[in-house]
Amino acid sequence: MAKSQLFPVTVVGSWPRPQWLIQALRKRQAGEISFDEFNTTADDAVLAAIKYQEDANVDIVTDGEQRRDNFYSFVVEKLDGVKLMTLTELMDYMKDRASFEETLRALDVPAFAMRSPVAVDRVRRKRHLALDEFEFLKSHTTRKTKVPIPGPYMLTRSMWFPGLSDKAYPVIEDLGRDVCSIVRDEIVALKEAGCDFVQLDEPVLSQVVYGSEGEETFMCAALASRRDPTEELRYAVELMNLTVKGISGVKLGIHVCRGNWSRREDVLLRGNYGPLLPYLMEMKIDQLVLEFATPRAGELEVFKEYRGEKEIGLGIVNPRSTTVEQPKSIERRVKEATRYFEPSQVYLNPDCGFGTFAERPVNDAETAYGKLRSMGTAASNLRKAWDGRANP
Amino acid sequence: MSSSSKNLNGLEVSKMEDFVKEIRTKPDVVKNTNGPWRSRVTWQGGLKAKAYMRNHTVTFDEPEGLGATDTSASAHEHLLSAVGACMMTGFVYQGTLKGVKIHNCEIALEGTFGDIRNWAGLTDEGTPGYPEIKAKLYVKADSDRKTIERLWANAWKHSVVTQTVARGAKIIPSLEVL
Ligand SMILES: [Zn+2]
Repeated sequence: MAKSQLFPVTVVGSWPRPQWLIQALRKRQAGEISFDEFNTTADDAVLAAIKYQEDANVDIVTDGEQRRDNFYSFVVEKLDGVKLMTLTELMDYMKDRASFEETLRALDVPAFAMRSPVAVDRVRRKRHLALDEFEFLKSHTTRKTKVPIPGPYMLTRSMWFPGLSDKAYPVIEDLGRDVCSIVRDEIVALKEAGCDFVQLDEPVLSQVVYGSEGEETFMCAALASRRDPTEELRYAVELMNLTVKGISGVKLGIHVCRGNWSRREDVLLRGNYGPLLPYLMEMKIDQLVLEFATPRAGELEVFKEYRGEKEIGLGIVNPRSTTVEQPKSIERRVKEATRYFEPSQVYLNPDCGFGTFAERPVNDAETAYGKLRSMGTAASNLRKAWDGRANP
Repeated sequence: MSSSSKNLNGLEVSKMEDFVKEIRTKPDVVKNTNGPWRSRVTWQGGLKAKAYMRNHTVTFDEPEGLGATDTSASAHEHLLSAVGACMMTGFVYQGTLKGVKIHNCEIALEGTFGDIRNWAGLTDEGTPGYPEIKAKLYVKADSDRKTIERLWANAWKHSVVTQTVARGAKIIPSLEVL
């Protein structure tokens, strides 16, 4: 990689949605406007999200996930056989309702506000998951592009619900195979359409490892029937590798964070990536998009044993805080990362999206923009520092 | 739509209006509706119980920690639920009469024993019951906040169960040994 291209700046995906877009989304959810009508409104929001990123010198841009209600349940618009169900509806099918009660208390939310896509029939593609989003993005930017899509493990886990899914899929593995093929087709379609970077979101993996019982937090229904963590992680690796097998010509990343539903650090999951790394390293993907901007995520030292094995999408700013990180502190952290990664392997991004859930963005657009700009400035300083020197 | 066939929040509004009119004007309807209301609680072995109310039944049990089988909720948990359900009835009833469309409604209740040792007969200090009950309403409705606040306040001020609990009904025990 030429030094001028070192330390690409990118985002994890979502951008805070303008109020008028949320209004349109509510109308869409209530069935008052059509899929196409909603998308026409969302076009303008995507253009604004692109503009913010371009102005902040983001090298690899997304469409800000403006068309999605969140990073996974939007698939109900795209797939047949999947129904978006509230926790109130799912309650009767749950084995461990008491632990979900703990979760609702901790989050201070009603069951009717939590929703999960559930496979109620054979899952088939009705529309592409993200190709339409990508085509619009591609036609409105000259920058490189990234498209985040839900990972096969998260989709399988969240959609397979005993009592509701077993008619179509007696065991979870049956659904897993269909999900892998749908996600795989999507990656291939995105690649053929010219997408540079496909990021598979698998935030549930951190809950498998760190979420004790009664801590099913932002992906509440997803882990209703999970097995022991080791078995779950092995299954996640299997699904991922089945999904991406033989695909080349597009950068593949996996994003794992500890939740992005609250600005309160104390309620989010904590723990370093150590226990997850052996599994992530087994996945046939290029880049790990991870959070490292808060102490909750632990230290970069966990990569000591895996030096240079994968690229890192280094979470370098906290999407949830009101203060904008200074470029100097970002540069320091990136330099630290180069102890475990080649400079050409380090990408800069926030810890997660700025608007993971449409109705509950974790930041406003102006603050988010400030954070992107800080990353842009830091990357530019770092490139200068690396210019002509082996190890600044 | 004529007001006689109007359905709001899953309720037939005209029937509700008729009922209000009846109890406003007819003392015998008031008398009959006041009660008595009845429940018969039968022992099912262990700490299990089954209650019969008109043509309905509810089961009770206690957690395994107590040596019981935890097949149903405990009586005191049913009480929390009864307080919540009664408040919800009032909220939805009054809201519907005011023409408020309710999309979703949920009440989370919580209570902590005064002292479990009192229940176990180890002390007469304090109370075995809940000295206070927290009840939080989550609601999504087509109405302004002020109206919803008023409906919620009335929901517990005029709730049969809530007021029975809050005012401490006089219990009149009696016994017959067979
Ligand atoms: Zn994330």
